[in-house]
Amino acid sequence: MPDAPTVPDRARTPLLTLITQESLDEDYQHVAEQRAAARARQGVEDHGAGGSGRRGHWVAAAVVAAFGMLVTVAAVQTSEGSGVADANRESLLHQIDQRRDQSAQLQGRILRLSERNVGLQDALNEVTDAERTTANRVDRLAAQAGYGPVRGPGIVITVDDAPNGEAVRAEDLALLANGLWAAGAEAIAINDRRLTARSAIFNSGAAINIRFTPPLSPPYVVSAIGDNKALEANLLDTSTGLAFSNAADALGFQVTTDRRDEIDLPAAELRPPHDAVMGTAEENRRPDGKETAP
Amino acid sequence: MIAALGLLVGIVLGVVFQPDIPLWLEPYLPIAVVAALDAVFGGLRAYLDGIFDDKVFVVSFISNVVIAAAIVFLGDKLGVGGQLSTGVIVVLGIRIFSNVAAIRRHIFHA
Repeated sequence: MPDAPTVPDRARTPLLTLITQESLDEDYQHVAEQRAAARARQGVEDHGAGGSGRRGHWVAAAVVAAFGMLVTVAAVQTSEGSGVADANRESLLHQIDQRRDQSAQLQGRILRLSERNVGLQDALNEVTDAERTTANRVDRLAAQAGYGPVRGPGIVITVDDAPNGEAVRAEDLALLANGLWAAGAEAIAINDRRLTARSAIFNSGAAINIRFTPPLSPPYVVSAIGDNKALEANLLDTSTGLAFSNAADALGFQVTTDRRDEIDLPAAELRPPHDAVMGTAEENRRPDGKETAP
Repeated sequence: MIAALGLLVGIVLGVVFQPDIPLWLEPYLPIAVVAALDAVFGGLRAYLDGIFDDKVFVVSFISNVVIAAAIVFLGDKLGVGGQLSTGVIVVLGIRIFSNVAAIRRHIFHA
């Protein structure tokens, strides 16, 4: 191993060792050696070096100033950059947190809404069932009350004026209708006009009227749904039925009774009550104590 | 003494003016600073060795900065900018450390 790394040795010296050995620029060494040689040649006197050295010092100072400025600028730049980067990072993290919170909130809302949806679906099903039940009930009640069409076995009694000119009066038809109700008829129609709880049979002049319908004209066809085997016999058992029968015999009305297995009765026209209010006064009492307007 | 004054003036100027570095120059600033640091410590060591020369210092400073920036620029173009910067910093770091060690020996005689 040679003492000093000569030029051929450079190739054999490890890189790190070389770097460490030559950490000082060789140029300083070169210049120093040259100067020493020059000094040896020209004696101890060092002419002109003072002036150039002074000027050179200023240049070196300027370079050092440039270095200081470089360092400062780099430091300022780096600190500013890191500030921006940190701010970005902070704001991004903040945004992530915010969005995550929002997402969680929305998830919760989805959950609540779907639960509510299920509840509403159940309620809807209940209401639909109730609506169907109520509709069925309304149909049944309408048929019973005369506001829904009905069909069934029954009898048809045709009453016509007497040949001697004696006309059938409203009282006679009313007796017959009452008798049929009493005998167990479930639905009655006169000339296809259905009788309801509000039907009244009355005379206006010679013509017979059922209330809310056009005047009737003879022959009067009274159709009654009920037990068609017993209805006719039961009719004669009732006092009103008997009264009608007697009147018809006395006045000579032409009465024919026909037993049918299938009678279709139409619905009466529905007229909502004008003055009557649904429910009892107790049920209609409002929470504030006032009664609803009639 | 003049050099210390120059350093102070440079720092003050940098703080006061805070010149904006052009964006394309920004990646080369840190490596240039490290290279300049190496030149400065080298100069300081030479001064303490008694062989300081102004011309050598100025030339080595400028060439260090330019070459370091050029290497990083080349590395950026080749796609190995990061690795080349690391290499340059390692070499300059070793030089700085050994120079500082020599300076320390001069000052503390240890």
